[in-house]
Amino acid sequence: MRRVCVILLLGCVCGCDPPPLTENGVVKVFGTVGMGEGSFSYPRGIARAADGCLFIVDKTARVQRFSAEGEFETQWNMPAKKSGKPVGLTVHPDGRVFVADTHYHRVMVYDRDGGEIARFGSEGDGDGQFRLPTDVAFDDAGFIYVAEYNGNDRVTKWNADYTFHSSLIDGPIDGVPMVRPAALLVDDERTLWVADACNHRILRFTLEGELLSQFGSIGTEPGQLRYPYDMDMKDGILLICEYGNSRLQWFDKAGNSLGVWGNAGRSIGELYSPWGAAYGLDGMIYALDSQNNRVQMIKR
Amino acid sequence: MTTLLDQLPFSFEKPEWLWLALLVPVLVVASYRALAGLGPVRRTASLLIRSLVILAIVATLAEIQQVKRNEDLTVIFLMDRSQSVREQETRQESYMEAACKDIPPNDRVGVIDFARHAHLEQLPMKGGYFLERGRLPEMPNPDRTDVAGAVRLAMAMFPHDTAKRVVLMSDGNDNMGDLLGEAQRAAGDGVTIDVVPLWYELHREVFFEKMVAPASAEVGEIVPIRMNVQSNTVTTGRIEIFHNGSKLDLPDEMARRRLEVGNNSFVLKLPIEEPGVQKFEARFVPDNDNADAIVENNRASGFTFVSGKGKVALLTMDPSADRILVDALTDENIQVRMIDLGLEVPDLAGLLDYSAIVLSNVPANVFTEQQQESLRDYVETTGGGLITTGGDEAYGAGGWIGTPLADVLPVELELKHKKIIPRGALVLVMHSCELPRGNYWGKLVAKKSVDTISSRDYIGALAYAGGASWEVPLQFATNKQGIKNKIDRMVIGDMPDFDPTLRLAVKGLTQTDAVQRHIILISDGDAAAPSGKVMQDLIDSNITCSTIAIGYGYHVQEFTLRDIANKTGGRFYPVRNPRALPQIFVKESKVVRRPLIVDEPFTPQVSFAQSEIIAGIADEGGVPPLGGLVLTTPKDLALVSLVRSTEDGTDPVLVHWQRGLGRVVSFTSGYWPQWGTDWTAWPKYSKLWAQIVRWTMRQEAPANFDVITRTEGNQGRIIIEALDKDADYLNFLNMQAKVIDPKLGPRDLRFTQTGAGRYEAVFDTEHTGQYIASIGIIQEGDYLGSIHTGISMPFSPELREMSTNEALLREVVTTTGGRWLDSGAETDDVFSHDLPPTVSKQPVWDWTLAWILLPLFLLDVSVRRLASWLALSIVVELLIIVVLLFGAGVIYTNWFGVLGVFIFAELVGWSIRYQYIRPLFDWMTHSVTALGQAGERSTQTLGQLKDVRERGKADESQQQAAQRPVESTTPKTARFDAGDPTPGSSVGNLTEAMGGAKATDSGEKPKQKSGEQREPGETEEAHTSRLLRAKRRARGKIDDDKDKQG
Repeated sequence: MRRVCVILLLGCVCGCDPPPLTENGVVKVFGTVGMGEGSFSYPRGIARAADGCLFIVDKTARVQRFSAEGEFETQWNMPAKKSGKPVGLTVHPDGRVFVADTHYHRVMVYDRDGGEIARFGSEGDGDGQFRLPTDVAFDDAGFIYVAEYNGNDRVTKWNADYTFHSSLIDGPIDGVPMVRPAALLVDDERTLWVADACNHRILRFTLEGELLSQFGSIGTEPGQLRYPYDMDMKDGILLICEYGNSRLQWFDKAGNSLGVWGNAGRSIGELYSPWGAAYGLDGMIYALDSQNNRVQMIKR
Repeated sequence: MTTLLDQLPFSFEKPEWLWLALLVPVLVVASYRALAGLGPVRRTASLLIRSLVILAIVATLAEIQQVKRNEDLTVIFLMDRSQSVREQETRQESYMEAACKDIPPNDRVGVIDFARHAHLEQLPMKGGYFLERGRLPEMPNPDRTDVAGAVRLAMAMFPHDTAKRVVLMSDGNDNMGDLLGEAQRAAGDGVTIDVVPLWYELHREVFFEKMVAPASAEVGEIVPIRMNVQSNTVTTGRIEIFHNGSKLDLPDEMARRRLEVGNNSFVLKLPIEEPGVQKFEARFVPDNDNADAIVENNRASGFTFVSGKGKVALLTMDPSADRILVDALTDENIQVRMIDLGLEVPDLAGLLDYSAIVLSNVPANVFTEQQQESLRDYVETTGGGLITTGGDEAYGAGGWIGTPLADVLPVELELKHKKIIPRGALVLVMHSCELPRGNYWGKLVAKKSVDTISSRDYIGALAYAGGASWEVPLQFATNKQGIKNKIDRMVIGDMPDFDPTLRLAVKGLTQTDAVQRHIILISDGDAAAPSGKVMQDLIDSNITCSTIAIGYGYHVQEFTLRDIANKTGGRFYPVRNPRALPQIFVKESKVVRRPLIVDEPFTPQVSFAQSEIIAGIADEGGVPPLGGLVLTTPKDLALVSLVRSTEDGTDPVLVHWQRGLGRVVSFTSGYWPQWGTDWTAWPKYSKLWAQIVRWTMRQEAPANFDVITRTEGNQGRIIIEALDKDADYLNFLNMQAKVIDPKLGPRDLRFTQTGAGRYEAVFDTEHTGQYIASIGIIQEGDYLGSIHTGISMPFSPELREMSTNEALLREVVTTTGGRWLDSGAETDDVFSHDLPPTVSKQPVWDWTLAWILLPLFLLDVSVRRLASWLALSIVVELLIIVVLLFGAGVIYTNWFGVLGVFIFAELVGWSIRYQYIRPLFDWMTHSVTALGQAGERSTQTLGQLKDVRERGKADESQQQAAQRPVESTTPKTARFDAGDPTPGSSVGNLTEAMGGAKATDSGEKPKQKSGEQREPGETEEAHTSRLLRAKRRARGKIDDDKDKQG
């Protein structure tokens, strides 16, 4: 901290901009607790669009859009919030924002400015229904994948026109049923990754729902996981946000841990019950530090 | 003159101190000679500064104030949203919008809407009217109008430094506050109230003015019910009368009425056939619906309290089990009504109808906390009797520990004397809830659970805080406050799944010696389900788990929660209203209190044979055996009549005491079909219970107490005239009274004696409904009995008004000097700047002291003491910079201001230093000729210096020759302004010659200067020369004396 102060002081004295924060690789922190523009009330979902801007949803049932540098741009509210608030969102490569409106058992589709494009799903266990949807993913064929839990822990597949296609992953996986699949992604090899949060494992499937591999067990050591709540992938490196361990962890596709970042705390460079993480452009990583109501921008 | 003074930017709080300013000329005169040693410039400056110091002291003593005048205007709109003008909200919003168009940029607009209460909708702010049309929040309680309250709020919201105007939009039907009084206060504060009248008039309206029923009556009496109906049209219709909720079948000649314009009075006489509260309600139904605009005001109600033989209410959850007790009491000629609490929970007003209440094996969670408080008030304040009987849902086992009713029971529900007792254990699992304030409710009910369980039980709380953890470690509930404090500090995180927390709960519970283990899981249900293994562990360990789904969305996440409860034998509660949570927790907490129930037969022993309630019952043969009881401990002042004796001591069975004005009996057994079959077959069963009930029944007041009630605006008044049996006035009675507000519940009522035997009490009647008062009468410590009476407010006074109260509104305008705005917002000119500007005064004496007086004092000292002009100029510069930067606050402005301060200070500093550098300045600014002249002057100066030096040497040698014999007696001083002239003379002249300050007096003048060559300070030279001559004469005289002596 003293070093930061000295650097800042020198920067000011020299009349130039202070150098970026370097606490544990953090180059910028944005957001504070509140309900105003650019503030958060327990943010739970983050997604990056192709142009680099970020979409974040918090417990005010509000989606905010930020620039890649963390500057607030716009916001909109979900249609209702009395029953609960969304926990996940994903941006389609074409710019559509898919919000898993968890407690209303549906997925809302918006344009980048918050204009509603579509909504699909209803409450239930049947086809075309959700219990508590958590996340959305897309493949290059236009299919949409949605994860859900609360006794109906499964991944369903939807057509591009938002109609139900099939229940893709349901029932025991390697003898253990999924419990709270919290995050989905489709990689460049057209395989589907599922974060099976309460079983503390990562599952990899074909797009037809066939299990390819899995890794992870509960623990705090590198290579172990506690409540993986979000995932992102870039250049074959899997980024996992661990809610229970308050850290980020990187894996290769074979499940080998490549490193961890962060620990539970409130200082810069620490995380407190993070719900999400995303790769940005130019090697940036965004950590959604939920309990601290902020986003930390990291360069490694 | 006055006007001129008013325009000054300052004023004085205590102007009488300004007379001290007369000291300034005195000081100038007195100091003029004293400062003669300074040069004329310094002396003038010093005198000026000293005068300013005196003036600053005077200003400080007179408490100088800064005066600011502001021409800006603040307008606060008061928008009437009461029931009578509900239709005119849009019109008012349009008016404000139109009035605020193109307002001056510095004027401010505020908006307050009001009905019963005033609410601030827009803070007074610049820029106009910001509220969206039709988006004002719903107005709560529009059944009354308190315009005065709205004016009061507006007064509090006005900024102090602008002109103030209230624009009141109302029909003027103020039925709560004192509008004219508030208007006078507003006028006193310089606030004008302009009125925009909201016009309305009902042309065809009928309403009930009032119904008057006698406050008290006897059984068999025929009571007159008087009704006044107002109408502004001639119409016909029917009068309908309801007695205790049942419609009376009135013959047509009584029911059919023709109403004339104005007041119509009717009287109906009705027989009274039973004791208790007799409620009457009358309605007028017009034949033609068009004859009446508002139907809500077509009714009135009243009630009469009829004394007579008291009634008893038996409250039970199991009517079939208690039928036998009801029959026994009925056989003993006691009127009993059995109330099934599963169908109906009576409020306090309903209970007052009964002289005693029996709670038969009733759990606490049947009643809300407010209802439990009502039961306590029923006993303590209204003098009602209470009997509690035992069973599996009673006393500690029924969750009554820590409840308001537990205070009035003669037994403690905690066990204090038992050495060995089976324990219970309760674990609370708290999950963060999506519901607004969900965690707050979770903590509230968790603390309620702590209150409810026994101190011998275990309690603990689990939550997710970065992982499942014991936020309150499983422990005995002995330090309940400490545990509640821990719950307050709990961090309730968002639990991903229930598995880890339930696993911890199982582990903790199985390590205790508790026989009853229970988990309460509170959640919105969006955590993932626990694993099958944990569920099986719960079942195997005989741990029950009840789940509470909290929040609006409970219905969607109930699957997991319902499953957990079903599999473990717990209960599932979907909770939509969090206010129901405390009762659920009480109900659940009592699960762990099952060990308090002793389910084994015993024969009660008589422990106090003289007890009034068992007198003559247990004399012969004792009492039959009972099948069980609930364990309790008798309170210190309670009388225990029957006990159960064991090796571990005795347990109370029948206990009684007096609590407040009422009496309470607790029978810890009961539960007749299971525990009391021998008792119900006992011949003395009826007699014993009749005796118990009669002992507890409330005493009614003597008949010679007259009660009068009436309404006066928004208040009710109760008048009691008390006579004794000889018709003499009863004075100095103590009245313990409560009035039950239809909305707020029981409130204390204070009676004061206003005459011989006359007592009065006043209470607010702001809510619509029935106000029932219960008055316990105590004379010299003896309880004489209780009186019940009441007042009915059948409908809002808003519904009485038939037109705009123009007279009141015009009175407001006249009182405050406002305007009557009735021509439309565009022409009303609401923001007219015709009000006097606002003058605000702020004390600045402390600023004067710090930033004027102190710097001037320092300056004064510097001018007199600093010889060097250079030093003086630096001091002046520093003072200027400090005062302007920090005193005047320039440092808080932009950098231009700071730069300006430094430039100004340098200008002043260099002006002073100019004295010091003038030769250099002259050299720089004059021509070569001038330089030559300067050379000549320098030659002259050098000549002068040489002369001075030579003369000094001559004087020195002369003095050495003359003074050597007396050298030791000559004083040597180094004073700056009055020192020894000899050693300082050359220095003084040298300084003077260089154009510096005349620092010291010189000896004889080295050279007499011509008139035009006189330098400043010559006067001082003459003065010092005189002094030197006098000194020389004195020295000569000393030499002469020496010579003579020599």
